[in-house]
Amino acid sequence: MANLKALYNDLQKSFNSNDLKKCGTLLSQLKIGLIEAGLLIPQGDPSLDDLIVARDILEIGAIWSIRTRDVPSFDRYFSQLQTFYTDYSSLLPPSKREYPIRSLNLVRLLTQNRIADFHTTLESLPLPADAIADNPYISHPVNLERWLMEGSYSKVWNAREEAPVEEYKFFVDSLMGTIRNEIASCEEAAYENLPLKDATTLLFFNNQSEALTFAKQRGWQVDLSNSTIVFAKKGEENMEIPKEKLITASLAYARELEQIV
Amino acid sequence: MTDVEMKDKKEEDKKTEDKKEDKKEEVKKVPLTPVAEIKANVVHIGRAVSTIEPRFTHRVLRTLTALRKRIDDAVLREAIEDVFPKESQNKVSLLSWLGPAPPSSTQAMDVDSSASTPPKGPAPTTEPIPEVDIYFRLLILYHLLKQSNNGADKDKLSKAKELAQESVQKMHTLNRRSMDPIAAKFWFAVERTYEISGDLAEARPMFLSAQRTAALRHDDDTQASLINRLLRSYLAYSLYDQADKLVSKTTFPTSAGNPQLARYHYYLGRIKAVQLNYSDAHTNLQQSIRRAPPAKVAPGFYQAVHKLFVVVELLMGDIPDRSIFRHPVLEKALLGYFEIVRAVRTGSLSQFQQTLSKHAALFQADKTHTLITRLRQNVIKTGIRRLSLSYSLISLKDICVKLHLDSEEDAEYIVGKAIRDGVIDGKLVHEKGWMECSGAGGTKRGYGPEVADVFGRRIGYCLELHNESVKAMRYPLNAHRKELADAAGAREREKELVKEIQEGDLDDEEMGGDF
Repeated sequence: MANLKALYNDLQKSFNSNDLKKCGTLLSQLKIGLIEAGLLIPQGDPSLDDLIVARDILEIGAIWSIRTRDVPSFDRYFSQLQTFYTDYSSLLPPSKREYPIRSLNLVRLLTQNRIADFHTTLESLPLPADAIADNPYISHPVNLERWLMEGSYSKVWNAREEAPVEEYKFFVDSLMGTIRNEIASCEEAAYENLPLKDATTLLFFNNQSEALTFAKQRGWQVDLSNSTIVFAKKGEENMEIPKEKLITASLAYARELEQIV
Repeated sequence: MTDVEMKDKKEEDKKTEDKKEDKKEEVKKVPLTPVAEIKANVVHIGRAVSTIEPRFTHRVLRTLTALRKRIDDAVLREAIEDVFPKESQNKVSLLSWLGPAPPSSTQAMDVDSSASTPPKGPAPTTEPIPEVDIYFRLLILYHLLKQSNNGADKDKLSKAKELAQESVQKMHTLNRRSMDPIAAKFWFAVERTYEISGDLAEARPMFLSAQRTAALRHDDDTQASLINRLLRSYLAYSLYDQADKLVSKTTFPTSAGNPQLARYHYYLGRIKAVQLNYSDAHTNLQQSIRRAPPAKVAPGFYQAVHKLFVVVELLMGDIPDRSIFRHPVLEKALLGYFEIVRAVRTGSLSQFQQTLSKHAALFQADKTHTLITRLRQNVIKTGIRRLSLSYSLISLKDICVKLHLDSEEDAEYIVGKAIRDGVIDGKLVHEKGWMECSGAGGTKRGYGPEVADVFGRRIGYCLELHNESVKAMRYPLNAHRKELADAAGAREREKELVKEIQEGDLDDEEMGGDF
């Protein structure tokens, strides 16, 4: 245990001075220590102080994973923290890192487009529904999700600077990638043609050349002479009769009727 | 082998007798006193165990809800005194759970009842079967819960909890299959005890291990009951993840009764709705409504399911039937939801927000608040659809004003998304800043594939209903044995015939020989 304490102090020091490399090595040593002390997944009746230390270590681990851009590792730390956040919530004093980490997790689910998981997680938050709006950490991802679903992409774009936690920055890029693709697919359906200049602003690009490369990626036709994007009109949707499905259904009915009569 | 058959035959005889008795009882159905009813139930349970026919136990349990409202200390005491022999250990332990009534009053009660009711038979001398013991424990547990006044009386509550724990232990050690239906009911009472005392999470390990045991023993009744208990406990703490995992790891016994199925489907509907799987949630809730007891019998459940059902239907983009909101049981409970439906139908964001904040407390109590906030986008979509139907050309600015959106920029993105999602048929012209709608001609109506789909689903449901009713038909136990016996007899006769013929042949030969 004494060894653990020293390592823990080291970890806190290097975490505060943002020494990512040292944090990594210390974390893996500490995790082994936690397992040996039976604290990683608390068993038996550990003392409160030990639990708090274990929670601290895991929290630092989660934030460290984001800083080192290691999402799977964040996922692991987060599931380990779940035990502390849900099962021991009545015993332990609330951690000030809890909501930032929960909120990071929500944003992560959003960027990975796991909307169902996002809502399940949101539902299981130990907060009453009207407190969500008051909690800056949680309301941010909740608003992001709402805007994404509505289609208010400009609000998402504007909100990227208002992130309540430093570590959001890591997710911003991938989130912007997601909404750009969303907008692009909307444009394909909604416009017949669009001036390149407007497309640039609509897609939140800084200059037209970026928009051009994006257009190439999506396979859009760009009319360079009057600099507009022409969206290939999809031919009249051919209404095909789902023959196979209808036949199997009819056959199934026939078989069932045979059984009844 | 013969022995067994003999027994079966006897049982058959007994059963026909039973049936006669059943009929008789039904004919002269006078309201029994609670004590008499309990005693009659005890007889039924005994019969169920001796004939291996759980039907009787189920019948007893059906009366439980009505019965438990009418029992009190004296009734229980008297029934226990009558059913158990004098020097019974079980009797002592059962009586210890009841309030410490002065012995003289019990005596008086005894005298009283013997005076008023027809003369009692001699006190039983043999110990009744353990099922009866558990049945009494169930009654006492309900009684204690009633006395605890929904948790107001902590003393009774802790007593109920103790009783629940002890009885669970007892059921476990007894391990009798004939006890399963009662055990299933008992688990329900156990859960209720823990829920009232507010530490449902504490009971979870107990439920989990009991569920495993029940699954191993193919004890369908208990398993169904326990899966529902666990789901309820998970959902009470909003642990949707765990609940979802439990559902995917277990198979709900198909033979479970309607009340359990209704509950299960309701919980499933809840989980699916949270996971945005609205069409599945819709099916589950529909099943739940169909399986649920009539609205007047269980109004609470009926209302809860309908609340969720309305929200899910709205989230799917449908508008619920108006008749739901006129139903006498639902009218009051669904008032808030009705206003939400109105807001969604008119597509007015401001009205929606107002209603939401007005009824926020109600929605939170129903745990539908987060689901309803998801409706925001549906409101916008409905609004856009209405605009697209009434205008052939409309500027983005007007859309913005009419739908109370924050900026034109937003409006453009939102309309674009609506077009992509197939909500409306139209196109945007960016340079001029307007939306062109292709009018009514563009909307596809008629007998498309989706009609075939809906039709197919309905046919599937009807066929399933038919098949299930066929499966649910009951045939008398061992009826085929009679035929077998007949067949055996016929074979016997045939053998004799063959023998006779052979002998006859011999006779003939002999006779022939003689001549």
